Amino acid sequence: MPQTIALSANLDLRAAAPLRETLLGCAEEAVELDGAGVTRLGGLCLQVLLAALRDWSARGLAFTVKDPSAAFLETLSLFGASEAMAPALSPQGAS
Amino acid sequence: MDELDAIRITFFQECDELLADLESGLLAQQRGAGDAETVNAVFRAVHSIKGGAGVFGFDGLVRFAHLFEAVLEGLRSEKLEPTPDLVSLLLGAHDELIDHVTAARTGRVQDLRRLSGVSVRLAEIVDRLKVAALDASPEAATAPERDDFDFDFTPLAASLEPLPAPPLTAPAPPAPLGWTIAFRPLAELYRKANEPAVLLRELARLGEARAVLDLSDLPSLQALDPEDGYLAWTIDVAGDIEKAQVAEVFEFVEGDCDLVISPMGQAAPAAAAPEPQFASEPQAELPIAPPPVKIAPPPLLTLVEPEPAPPPHVEPEPPRAVQSESAQPESPPAEAPVQTPPPQSVIRVDPERVDRLVDLVGELVISQVMLAQKVQEAGLPPSSGLVAGLEELEQLTREIQDGVMAIRAQQVRAVFQRMPRLVREVAALTGKQARLVTDGEATEVDRTVIERLAEPLTHMIRNAIDHGLETPEERAALGKSPEGVIRLSAQHRGARIVIEVSDDGRGIDRRRVLSTAVARGLVAADAQLDDEAIDNLIFLPGFSTASAVSDISGRGVGMDVVRRSVQALGGRIAIASVPGRGATITLSLPLTLAVLDGMQVEVCGQTLVAPLAAIVESVRPRPEDVRRIGSGAVLAVRDSFIPLVDVGVVLGFRDRPINPADGIVLLVETDDGGRVALVADEIHGQRQVVIKSLESNYGQVAGISAATIMGDGRIALIIDIDAVISMRNRPAPAPLLAAE
Repeated sequence: MPQTIALSANLDLRAAAPLRETLLGCAEEAVELDGAGVTRLGGLCLQVLLAALRDWSARGLAFTVKDPSAAFLETLSLFGASEAMAPALSPQGAS
Repeated sequence: MDELDAIRITFFQECDELLADLESGLLAQQRGAGDAETVNAVFRAVHSIKGGAGVFGFDGLVRFAHLFEAVLEGLRSEKLEPTPDLVSLLLGAHDELIDHVTAARTGRVQDLRRLSGVSVRLAEIVDRLKVAALDASPEAATAPERDDFDFDFTPLAASLEPLPAPPLTAPAPPAPLGWTIAFRPLAELYRKANEPAVLLRELARLGEARAVLDLSDLPSLQALDPEDGYLAWTIDVAGDIEKAQVAEVFEFVEGDCDLVISPMGQAAPAAAAPEPQFASEPQAELPIAPPPVKIAPPPLLTLVEPEPAPPPHVEPEPPRAVQSESAQPESPPAEAPVQTPPPQSVIRVDPERVDRLVDLVGELVISQVMLAQKVQEAGLPPSSGLVAGLEELEQLTREIQDGVMAIRAQQVRAVFQRMPRLVREVAALTGKQARLVTDGEATEVDRTVIERLAEPLTHMIRNAIDHGLETPEERAALGKSPEGVIRLSAQHRGARIVIEVSDDGRGIDRRRVLSTAVARGLVAADAQLDDEAIDNLIFLPGFSTASAVSDISGRGVGMDVVRRSVQALGGRIAIASVPGRGATITLSLPLTLAVLDGMQVEVCGQTLVAPLAAIVESVRPRPEDVRRIGSGAVLAVRDSFIPLVDVGVVLGFRDRPINPADGIVLLVETDDGGRVALVADEIHGQRQVVIKSLESNYGQVAGISAATIMGDGRIALIIDIDAVISMRNRPAPAPLLAAE
């Protein structure tokens, strides 16, 4: 059963350090992030998510963002990060 | 306070400074003392406000600043002449910009006047500039839809409002041209609360944008510093776009990112390793000079370090930061070194920290006084080392107190600089011509006083223009200059600051003032008043000489309110008038509200402090001077009878008044200029006391304004004289008890 973590609504510069801490805290298990409530995604949090996705994938663990909000997806696309994040967004991608 | 709030506060502080710079620049321009650098500084001020406002999503502010900026740009590029009309319009725009900043600060956008004349006139000028630019650049005319000034400029803030679709507008269909931008945000960019998403979104507004993310520098999560930047982007923006437009998007993050802007189709170099060949990019098609990239606008702003203060951070221009090269061909090479503004040797400190320091120094003073009293009680000889050491301590304490108060002192400039606008507005509304002359703006006074100075000054200046100054025609007929002069000056006099507002108008019309006062029943019809007494009638509550309540002075606020607010500050107000020559109102205020000169009195064994500012004199009445009138008593002082008020009864210390002849009487001045005699048991002399708020430490007590701690450690209450006087008129429980 993966650890489910709700992403905060505002993933701005202040959210990056806590997000990283939270993720490091469950580094040994599959992680499922709930992206339904995200209204804002900033560059620093994007970095954290992308780094985590790569680390988890390297360890063979699932790292997913379920129910990504429209804002989350739209900003990913703006960042040109849709492709890089894709494994986390498709349910089977990371397993 | 979270970081973003702190940054927001800093933004508004900076706005205040920038607005002040803006106004002084425009005023210099108005005087004809402006030069190219003045125009640049004025432009930068508006530009910086616009940039900050964009970050926080203050759209109305951004839009207006953009319009303002576009006109200033016309001035800067010498497409516009700084005619008196234009400068006066720009001053009006400055005033309106203040409104926009205030609306953004308070969130009361609805207060803004919709589509004011100023915006319309600015927009007209921008339109003219645009047409001229199109005429001047034939190739631009092929794309008539292009908008150099981009009226719909609405940078999205760092919020993701649901967007119907990515706003990919390609205004010019024929040309699939565009720019490739290599962009790598550095930690500094994020630290200043800038956000790549916002920049990318702005690029997407310029034209069809496609961002390719470069993850190659992204470390593992463990190694990642969540505040550093590891991502880089290569963004293609397609469309008929000026390079300057692209550069403008990044204007506020210059130095905080690696940036290379190159024509689309040419291989973009890596952001970190710019190739010099792009510097020679032809820029001839630019109709307007690009923003002053080399002038580095940010140094105007002293950046506050959000608390907790990060480790000392030296901020050299990061050598790897690449300036957007579009600026280089246009900037004269000599410009860069000349325009480096001198580093500001100013620190910003959270006022609460200073207030805390003031509090602590107050405690220190109290402890020191208590210690001195203990030593005195111990009966040590004055020659003992302890006594000498204590005197030294006292001296040091006093110096520390002065020093700390000096930190909190502010120049009255902070208030004075709001007044030119007021003068312009009131003059325009009343059809008068007025010029404000200020003097002594550098005079310092405690922050607590500054904050409460604006309102009385505003009313005084309004009154001076509305009632004092004649119309230009009247003035001309009198042989005066059509333009009236309002003088506002400040100076230190002893431990007080004296502020004068004077005008060179008609002076006080004493006959009219007297007849009005009589008509309103404020003075007896047969009263014999000297000139000074008549002049002072304007301070009476309910007095207003304007026969019709005007929009200017008659906002339900008369000079009585001014007098009251000045007295609430422990100040005094006086007026002097010379018919036909003008009037001068003088305020005398304490330099601080943190300490108070008080008269220490005793009532029923309680020590009380009466503010010295309100006390006219103290007398020990003779029994024959006290007369009973009805239920009360009056004191005969020279030729007048003054109502007696027993402080002990009013404050509930005793049931029935003592015989004033057994105590001491303080003659105090009331709000309406009358006098009241306060009866106390004994006077212990004058002393300076440190004011301690009762409201914040205990609760509000009727008749008491604050408290202080005496040398023996006991608390003494500070009498709120006006409250005590008004309380005596209320039926108190005490007399009922006494009647039984």
